[in-house]
Amino acid sequence: MDPTPSRTSGAHSTSISNVSAWVLRSGVIGSALVMLIGIIFTFAHGTISVDRMKSDGFEYRPDVIWNGIRHGHGKYIIEAGIYLLLFTPIMRVAASSILFAFQERDRLYALITLIVLILTLAGLLWIG
Amino acid sequence: MTEVSQSIFWLSEIAGASFVGGVVGSLSGLGGGIVVVPVLTILMGLPIEQAIGASIVSVIAVSSGAGSVYVKDKITNVRIAMFLELSTASGALLGAGYLARHINPQALYILFGLLLLLSLLPIFAKLGEELPIGVKNDRIASALRLNGSYFDKHLGREVEYNVTGIPPALGIMFAAGIISGILGIGAGVVKVLAHEVAMKVPTKVSTATSNFMIGVTAAAGAGVYLRRGMVLPYLVVPVAVFVLAGAFVGTLIMERLSNSLLRKIFALLLAIAGIQMLIRGFGGKY
Repeated sequence: MDPTPSRTSGAHSTSISNVSAWVLRSGVIGSALVMLIGIIFTFAHGTISVDRMKSDGFEYRPDVIWNGIRHGHGKYIIEAGIYLLLFTPIMRVAASSILFAFQERDRLYALITLIVLILTLAGLLWIG
Repeated sequence: MTEVSQSIFWLSEIAGASFVGGVVGSLSGLGGGIVVVPVLTILMGLPIEQAIGASIVSVIAVSSGAGSVYVKDKITNVRIAMFLELSTASGALLGAGYLARHINPQALYILFGLLLLLSLLPIFAKLGEELPIGVKNDRIASALRLNGSYFDKHLGREVEYNVTGIPPALGIMFAAGIISGILGIGAGVVKVLAHEVAMKVPTKVSTATSNFMIGVTAAAGAGVYLRRGMVLPYLVVPVAVFVLAGAFVGTLIMERLSNSLLRKIFALLLAIAGIQMLIRGFGGKY
């Protein structure tokens, strides 16, 4: 009946919670701002039709995206924002892995989070 | 209407629907695809592929936005999330990287839909329960120190809880990963089920922890959808930005609800998701 009273603090390391929260909040707010800037650039450079917005696909080659951003092309600024969003949970995992390893000195969880990090990066960047 | 005003009107319609999706997704731990996909297909007439592409990005926005609040308020159990993410992330990779080419998605939708409807039974069995009683840590939960506590704003006190059923939870999470890898959904509904039914943690903890995990699963599966051209940049902006706003509002509501009301909302969404998956399995585009 009684929850185990000892060692409950383990589930809620304050530093890992606070750093995770900070990484997540900065990531989503930052990416939302970048996307909105992209939309503003799109409309500032003239008009775009609904049909075009429904059909213009994602360009995932980094060099094309980078080139587009340098020319102030709204679509590529938006794509940078999308990438920032996709990397937000991954950065959260990376940050916890570092904290588990060096601050909590919890090798097991450092290893678990490191494996999760590798699997997630593999999925986002290579597999499929 | 001029072209610019037409475009802005189109973006605003999507934004409104996405806001609702964000509220529902963050307070239930499901992510928001359950609202965003049917709105984009039925009301806005978009193809299901692009709706799913927008939805997988929205899952990441809801998970991260609401996650930042739930983690800070210490409702999320970070250890459970990290440990189970091993299972979902491997499942998502296997699903997206290999199984997607060999499994008929139609059949998987039907199977998944039936499983969701079936899982209403254990949820109904504990529908009015406020907190789980008599749960003891299993061996893995003790070894990994997965038990925890959170401050319940509805009850006005700290709630301590134990965690059980880790082996079945790992299996369910692996299946959830495979399903999200193949179908491009966050499968938050399966994650909440694993927490609620197998691990028997309080509903708010299962909602917040599931919400925390779906972003990682979605990110692991998202690469495939980018490369298949299912993510339309212009469509993603109103969806991502406004589910995010909705997600922050959802967290304010969730923390104040009772666990039993939250579970009733979840049961309703579970039924809707089950029917939605069956419809997709029989060729419907919602």
